[in-house]
Amino acid sequence: MVTAKFIQQLGAIVGAEDVISHPEDLLVYEYDGSVDRSMPGAVVFPTCTEEVSRVLALAHREGVPVVGRGSGTGLSGGAIAPEGGIQIAFTKMNHILEVDTENRTATIEPGVVNLDLDNYVRKFGMRYAPDPSSQKACSLGGNIAENAGGPHCLAYGTTTNHVLGMEVVLEDGTVMNLGGPTRETPGYDLRGVFVGSEGTFGVATKIMVRLLPLPEMVKTFLGIFPDIDTACTAVSAIIGHGIVPAALEMIDALSIKAVQSVTDAGYPADAGAVLLVELEGLKEEVEDVTKEVESALWDTGARDVRIAEDPADREKLWVGRKTAFGAFGTIAPNYYLVDGVVPRTRLAQVMRKVSEVSEKYRITIANVFHAGDGNLHPCMLFDEREPGVSERAAQAAQELMEYCVGVGGTLSGEHGIGLEKKEYMPLVFNEADLDQMRKVRDAFAPSNRMNPGKIFPDGVSYHAGSHRAAPGMYI
Amino acid sequence: MTSTLPEKLASLLGNHGVVPANRLAEYSIDGLVPASVVQPTSREAIAEVLRWAAAEKLAVSPRGGGTQMSLGNTPSKLDLVMDLSKYHRLLDYQPADLTATVEAGITLEAFQRELAQGGNLASLEAPMADRATIGGILAANSSGPLRHSYGPARDWLIGISIVGPDGGETKAGGKVVKNVTGYDLNKLYTGSLGTLGVIVEATFKLAPFPTDSGALVAVFPSMQTAMDEARNLLAQIYSPQGVHIVNALTAEKLDLPFNVPTDGACVMAFCSGRSRAVQRRLEESATLLLERNASQVERLDEPSGAALLRRLTDLGWSAATTPQLSLKINVSPSLVPKAIAWHQNSGIDPPGILADAGFGSVRLFWWGEEALPISGVIEAIVRLRAIAQESGGSVVVEHCPLPAKAQVDVWGDTSVEVELMRRIKHAFDPLGTLNPGRFMGRL
Ligand SMILES: Cc1cc2nc3c(=O)[nH]c(=O)nc-3n(C[C@H](O)[C@H](O)[C@H](O)COP(=O)(O)OP(=O)(O)OC[C@H]3O[C@@H](n4cnc5c(N)ncnc54)[C@H](O)[C@@H]3O)c2cc1C
Ligand SMILES: Cc1cc2nc3c(=O)[nH]c(=O)nc-3n(C[C@H](O)[C@H](O)[C@H](O)COP(=O)(O)OP(=O)(O)OC[C@H]3O[C@@H](n4cnc5c(N)ncnc54)[C@H](O)[C@@H]3O)c2cc1C
Repeated sequence: MVTAKFIQQLGAIVGAEDVISHPEDLLVYEYDGSVDRSMPGAVVFPTCTEEVSRVLALAHREGVPVVGRGSGTGLSGGAIAPEGGIQIAFTKMNHILEVDTENRTATIEPGVVNLDLDNYVRKFGMRYAPDPSSQKACSLGGNIAENAGGPHCLAYGTTTNHVLGMEVVLEDGTVMNLGGPTRETPGYDLRGVFVGSEGTFGVATKIMVRLLPLPEMVKTFLGIFPDIDTACTAVSAIIGHGIVPAALEMIDALSIKAVQSVTDAGYPADAGAVLLVELEGLKEEVEDVTKEVESALWDTGARDVRIAEDPADREKLWVGRKTAFGAFGTIAPNYYLVDGVVPRTRLAQVMRKVSEVSEKYRITIANVFHAGDGNLHPCMLFDEREPGVSERAAQAAQELMEYCVGVGGTLSGEHGIGLEKKEYMPLVFNEADLDQMRKVRDAFAPSNRMNPGKIFPDGVSYHAGSHRAAPGMYI
Repeated sequence: MTSTLPEKLASLLGNHGVVPANRLAEYSIDGLVPASVVQPTSREAIAEVLRWAAAEKLAVSPRGGGTQMSLGNTPSKLDLVMDLSKYHRLLDYQPADLTATVEAGITLEAFQRELAQGGNLASLEAPMADRATIGGILAANSSGPLRHSYGPARDWLIGISIVGPDGGETKAGGKVVKNVTGYDLNKLYTGSLGTLGVIVEATFKLAPFPTDSGALVAVFPSMQTAMDEARNLLAQIYSPQGVHIVNALTAEKLDLPFNVPTDGACVMAFCSGRSRAVQRRLEESATLLLERNASQVERLDEPSGAALLRRLTDLGWSAATTPQLSLKINVSPSLVPKAIAWHQNSGIDPPGILADAGFGSVRLFWWGEEALPISGVIEAIVRLRAIAQESGGSVVVEHCPLPAKAQVDVWGDTSVEVELMRRIKHAFDPLGTLNPGRFMGRL
């Protein structure tokens, strides 16, 4: 239990100024980007691994559950504190410790913001490839916990493919190194299984990531389509031709309107959908693939294909993609987003289902998503003050998740299960499958004190609420 | 009880599912001959044998093509070998989704043949691809000369099914290319060497079949200059997908188009992809190597390039190139130039060297006819490990004389992490049925 004495002990470890426990100070730590909320007993802001280790050891002795917190942009409730638990916020552990240009690696603390890392290493002609749409705000620690994806993960893989090593602290304060500076390490791949464990195995206190050299040529185009069905066909055609672009993103009509109302991204207001395609690589590769992509777009029924001629043009197209979620605030004050993923050949079929569901539950749904990966993001837009609408949104989400699973897909492509989707896990995994997962968690955290109550169904249903759209937020 | 073993197994699998007693020696591991070998053809049979074996407290070693069974520590116990090579169908292939699902016993070569028909490729490489199975490749997290660019097997696996020692089948991941639904147990099983469960089914994301490929070989006066030029080549925008350096001793085993002088070295570079890009990579790389004082640069167009790639992949594993002792040093790529000289501290004869300059590994081979002294082998492993560990690296023993194996852990020294691995192993295989003793820390 979080008692006054416990808070004092925390203060003795990290310094009294780095512990907060007054309810009014805790308000912002009550929620993340998802629908749930719960107030932590205290939040601590350690500045080094040793402090993290001592905090965890103390909490372990006192039986207090602990959850790590990055930037709180998670969309599945991962950073919500469990009943009677505390949060370790990594805001103060936000230093880039080393950039090794020869080995193309960076070593960072978990609180470093994704885009800050990328901007920093670009000075050395490199980049950090995983680029979640929340990259202006989200932390690398949160990215590791969720195995975050982003538009460019289509070609380069998600966070897990870019993490070399981690220093982690387990529930009892044990500090351990998983992976390391070498691409291969003997033994079980503990690093690989830690990534995506949603904070339930322990917290990462130091992270070594791989960087990639900047490509020789980048080409970005916008395929403009009469409707979303045709645009989906184009996605299948591109992948089916054996082309895996660096990024392949879909933006539907409603999202185009929302985007264009806040910024001019150059998306035609009357388009049914646009596809944002980016190619990268050697000049010859990009030139050859450009021709193939262009003909795939035209052949499947594009109304127009525009190519960004310079970096400024390119940036403009991307700003559109990246402001979409913020722009939804102009449509409705609340949003709730489904993260289902399906085989890419099923996209058109699934998008038809999305529009059916929208009609059936009388909920506006906008779609901006990682089409190349088959990762949907149907975003329900509503005003929670309207009676019954939150419940309808939740039902619509459930129907969509069930449908995704039904066509051979799954619940989440990048946002994680957390609190939000845990009760749906049986749609995909049976008890025996889940037991294998629990075994690994219990090996890392035998007392199950790291972020308990997440991922696994336990009959406690989440509070059907909704997140407020924040216009202008870079998401 | 062992006398009734074959009978019991025949009752479970039928006679065709049990290997005749006169062939058991072919399945021995480090000199231990199993009491029985089964070749199941269905999941039900795999599950039933495992369930029964656990009840009888037998030790089971899964096996694919058997190309690598000498790896790992000597088993602490071996009763039954489960040969999966007859469980080998392609279950699902969706060229338009770039995904495919197979049974674990399919060979890499057979899998690639099927995929090529749909214009795709699995980005997997393994020695002896005509025999190596997908299950074995995953169990060993195998990789090949292009690993620097395409990554090892773990980067391509998206879904897996395993049968545990209790006979229960479980799955993780799925058939979609991006997935965070539940823990990523794909990663845990990949490289677990069959100690957590028998892999029965795997789903991969695929890559389009490259339309062109080719190789370069260049001769340099010394290992150090070759190494520096290889690193320089890797820093170029047009760098090949794999760059490797061998000394003269290793070059002899590769059947190169020319001789490498005794103190000299050879850089090998491999490119694949779309035609114009491949041609540019090859041309600019060749120009650079010549400018940098390579005494000779040869371009190997297909099929010669692919043939060299295959010889390089098989090096150290094929019957003709299997050494007495081979060690793999894992280090950061920038340390490879140093690591190629570490063997000078080993106290035994100079080895054949193969360095992967981009990925960060150095393999050392002792092929000599004369038997190496066991104490010298152990001393060499201990010394090299100490140096590698100081630099954040590790040394894995790939081949070594059996008496030496008894005295060193082939995977390396144990650390705190091994305690966690032990907890995982214990939770998945509480009776120690699967490959007991062979993994790190003799788990
Ligand atoms: C508008 C918007 C757009 C988004 N777009 C994307 C997208 O394109 N792709 C994508 O993948 N996600 C996206 N997200 C989701 C979210 O940004 C990611 O999941 C991100 O990785 C969370 O990082 P965070 O720092 O905010 O983590 P938090 O929300 O603070 O925490 C998330 C989880 O990480 C754990 N955690 C935090 N730090 C650590 C640590 N050091 N060690 C261990 N566990 C830790 C927490 O316990 C929690 O379980 C989006 C979110 C928003 C709001
Ligand atoms: C430890 C080790 C390290 C290696 N390192 C490299 C390397 O760095 N580079 C390289 O190119 N090649 C390496 N190889 C070789 C490469 O991985 C082999 O090509 C591959 O293992 C061959 O498959 P196989 O079917 O012949 O397997 P086998 O030799 O039959 O089996 C290999 C291992 O996998 C287990 N196994 C086999 N099938 C299954 C299954 N279905 N389920 C669970 N476990 C199973 C076996 O018990 C055994 O431990 C390595 C192999 C091993 C074992």
